[in-house]
Amino acid sequence: MLRVITAGLRAHAARLVASTVAIVIAVGFVVATVTLSETTRSTMLEAVGARYTSTDVVVTSTTGAPLDDVARDVAALPGVAAVDLARSTSVQALVPGRTGAQYLLVDSVAEDPALRWQHLAGGALPDRPGEVAVSERVGAEIGDVLIATTYDDEGREVTSEATVVGVVDLRGDPSAGINGRAFVVGEQVETWGGLGPSELRIAGWPRTDPPLLAAEVRSGLEGQAVDVRTGEEQAVREAEALTGDARVLTLMLLVFGTVALLVAGLVIANTFAVLLAQRTRELALLRCVGATSRQVRRSVLAEAAVTGVAASALGVGAGIGLAALVSALVGTDSPVPLAGVTVPLSAVLGGLAVGTVTTLLAALAPARAATRVAPLAALRPLDPAPLRSRGGVRRLVAGLLLVVPGVALMVAGIAVGDVLLSVPGGALSFLGVVLLAQRAVPPVVAAAGRLVRSGGVTARLAGGNATRNPRRTAATATALLIGVTLTSAMVVGAATTRATAQAGLAAQYPTDVVVTGNSEDGVPASLVGRLEAVDGVQAATALTAGGLTGPDGYETWSLGVDPAEAAPVLRSTDDLPLPAEGTAVLPWWTVDTWGIEDGDEVTLSGDGGSRTFTARLGDTDHPLLTTTDLTALDPDAVADTLWLRLADGADPAAVVDEVTDVAGAAVPTAAVTGLASERAALDEVLDVLLLIVTGLLGVAVLIALIGVGNTLALSVVERRQENGLLRALGLTRGQVRGLLAWEAALVAGVAAVLGVVLGTAYGLIGVASVLGDYGEVVLSMPWLQVGAIVVVATAAGLLASVLPGRRAARTPPVAALAG
Amino acid sequence: MSAPVPVMTVPGEPPPTADAVRASGLTRTYGSGSTAVHALGGRVGDGTAGVDVAFARGAFTAIMGPSGSGKSTLMHCLAGLDTPTGGQVFLGGTELTSLRDDQLTRLRRDRIGFVFQSFNLLPVLDARENIVLPMQLAGRRPDPTWFDAVVARLGLRDRLRHRPAELSGGQQQRVAVARALLPRPDVVFADEPTGNLDSRAGAEVLDLLRSSVRETGQTVVMVTHDPAAAAYADRVVLLADGRVAGDIDDPTADSVLAALRGLGA
Repeated sequence: MLRVITAGLRAHAARLVASTVAIVIAVGFVVATVTLSETTRSTMLEAVGARYTSTDVVVTSTTGAPLDDVARDVAALPGVAAVDLARSTSVQALVPGRTGAQYLLVDSVAEDPALRWQHLAGGALPDRPGEVAVSERVGAEIGDVLIATTYDDEGREVTSEATVVGVVDLRGDPSAGINGRAFVVGEQVETWGGLGPSELRIAGWPRTDPPLLAAEVRSGLEGQAVDVRTGEEQAVREAEALTGDARVLTLMLLVFGTVALLVAGLVIANTFAVLLAQRTRELALLRCVGATSRQVRRSVLAEAAVTGVAASALGVGAGIGLAALVSALVGTDSPVPLAGVTVPLSAVLGGLAVGTVTTLLAALAPARAATRVAPLAALRPLDPAPLRSRGGVRRLVAGLLLVVPGVALMVAGIAVGDVLLSVPGGALSFLGVVLLAQRAVPPVVAAAGRLVRSGGVTARLAGGNATRNPRRTAATATALLIGVTLTSAMVVGAATTRATAQAGLAAQYPTDVVVTGNSEDGVPASLVGRLEAVDGVQAATALTAGGLTGPDGYETWSLGVDPAEAAPVLRSTDDLPLPAEGTAVLPWWTVDTWGIEDGDEVTLSGDGGSRTFTARLGDTDHPLLTTTDLTALDPDAVADTLWLRLADGADPAAVVDEVTDVAGAAVPTAAVTGLASERAALDEVLDVLLLIVTGLLGVAVLIALIGVGNTLALSVVERRQENGLLRALGLTRGQVRGLLAWEAALVAGVAAVLGVVLGTAYGLIGVASVLGDYGEVVLSMPWLQVGAIVVVATAAGLLASVLPGRRAARTPPVAALAG
Repeated sequence: MSAPVPVMTVPGEPPPTADAVRASGLTRTYGSGSTAVHALGGRVGDGTAGVDVAFARGAFTAIMGPSGSGKSTLMHCLAGLDTPTGGQVFLGGTELTSLRDDQLTRLRRDRIGFVFQSFNLLPVLDARENIVLPMQLAGRRPDPTWFDAVVARLGLRDRLRHRPAELSGGQQQRVAVARALLPRPDVVFADEPTGNLDSRAGAEVLDLLRSSVRETGQTVVMVTHDPAAAAYADRVVLLADGRVAGDIDDPTADSVLAALRGLGA
């Protein structure tokens, strides 16, 4: 029997290409996902955990209280060799050669060299106050003198100088974010307004066992409000806090991996059905010469096992290769840093197992069918495919049992706004839909076939052919349906998420960029024009600033805005209303300190007199009046703040850099802040996610289309006589190809349309239940993309018909007579 | 009954000839070298060339012969279903062997009708659709009067909406005959049309074929190995070992049987 199997594999190697490709893609996908996730984690651990590499034990406060006293207790423990009191603060720093102040995160450098973790790109770490090492992002060179602005206890501005002695390579540490980092000695952190140490990094004596030392520290600090962890534990903890999102992404990708496997399974089952149908006579002959049905089944399963193992191995290789490629392309310069490739053994073994098991499971049904081949079939012509499928009632009931509660859960999920309800609801109902599709697809295809009857004889024949073997048509269409449904769900979900998130962001952060002069003379009036001239700035408005006295008797910094001029600058006035004459938009803190409610009267006074305003509450840091009102109360008010709106599609980083230069040139103290980059970052993340997910689902669709080609190939084999008859009766070769093309277009088109309808529903439901919590959901329907999905899927179906069509067209007319 | 012979004259086509189909020097070899099978004519080292045979217009001719005599191969070559290895086939004045596949396909569609032994009908189409299929493929409209006449003669009026699976074997074969007759082809080729039928249904189909020849002047060429079926024909051409071995006019079952015995079959 073994010889028959190997001979069979050799003879049908080309036919097995479809199954192999399907399983390679699916397995490769899963392995690449796991590998990339693992790589991200280890890269992250290395970058974030860099500061804990030489640390045996870390002590953090549970309350946020400074750890000075704790540090003394720790240092007294016999097992402790060195303690670093990690402190941090932040400063505004002017770097020579760069206009405008930079916001720097400042950390202390350990006194003990063993606890210093920073990798130097050049120079040295600071040894005394007045020296600073900076990250590369700061853009300073060794020898530069930074001018740091800090505030003392009374809130007075203090400037101090620090000389750059070294540049630190952060090696892609994502926690650095967009801000520059500075490293100074602990004493300097204190003079720059840093609070007491928030973290103690402890080194033991050489050959210390970190868990043992941690236990010693823990017992030594009994009763104090601190957490004690080993350096490794702390590193993992911080890395996980940062990669939390990446984990969700991994999980999501694995879900798609499962989908790809499911689709691959359907395709493989179809492929084996094709192979076995082509070999009915061969199998029957085996039975005639004495093979038991069990031997036949075993030979089919052995063939599947060999295919599965080989394809899975290829898939594992492809997956690792793909991960390496992605890693090389993305590098550490992305929100999800990657360095090299870390291949977990679980990915390799899991990929092999998953691929092989899927193939075997998919081959089970065809193998069972193969055992039913009667020995007599060797002597008979090929039976035409059965015209009706039996049963299916169980499937119908099971499908309904899944769909009804699934939909109920989803509806509940939307009503409550709870994803935890709608996700299982979605999964249940989708499984149900897949089961029901087996029943629902053939009639829909038949209906679509009737629609195209006007397309001529070939279209009519194709309509009939497409529904001749309903079960097979359903399986083929379902594979495609799954892929299309998920793709369109993602596309629609992402469009709505983006629209909703943008509306939310616009309300929350109505201004893209804020420029503050921070000088008593204000900013020159010409600055508005100069900033508007910056490429990427769409509109700008200047706000005046002055001091007004509120009901509590204290002077409050207030802003005056020209509502007509400001309206086009703001992206939304939902959370920040613009004041009209006689109205003051007050910050939320006035509710407590001034006892103000929305709509109350409030009296504000200044050097120019006092006036009673109607209060509106809004998201502002300072009371906001119209410029006219503010100037009336405080004649000395000067323009000090500018609001900018960036053009959609402009690169925020580049625009902010140029704005910083222009503003800094006009007013050296000017500071530029803004949320444009946040908006852009969100957009980018959504785009990348969408691209990845769509690409991956595209894989599922691709696998499904291989299935369409396979099913057609099977039809061609089964209808050899029939195609011969048609050729004898006068169907040209082109018309035969057209027949297959119509059939493919019908099946693929119906699957695509159904999939898009379902996917749109799922996408909207998903978004509604996820974002329902965060306020109003802005529905957005990407018609173009959804239309493109239908067109592409149908066109690809047509493409899949090319090879079987050629084969059918080659059927000689005499085939009809070959009894 | 001698109804006028309907001859389709198409401008630009060769003028009608007395023979509906004619073959000259026809050979057909399958395979090559030592494994070659000479299904028709041209045995190696044998002086004889291929098969020469002609079928008269408006006649019902049967091709007979034992298994392996080449009768099916001959019919396939005559009908443009198979390409001869050598020689020529003429349908009316058209030489088939020089035609390209598409031209041949169109010729079959427009000028030849077929009735096969089995699997004559497309399962997805009903009887009516099956009958008009060749004309629809050609983009032609069947003449309604002629359609009704054919359907009535074949007793299919109540069966037009049935799919092949809902028809008996005899009914299916009558649908196939109707399909072959509807476009008024130059020739109807029938390949063992009664092979899968019981004797009563077989006799019905043969009667219908003969009456279409008698009443409308249709040319019919039938391949059969059944002497009783051959007795319905006006003439029998006997084939043996790929060559014409005899010719019987106005055959009876007995005369055909005797001739076959003479061939050593």
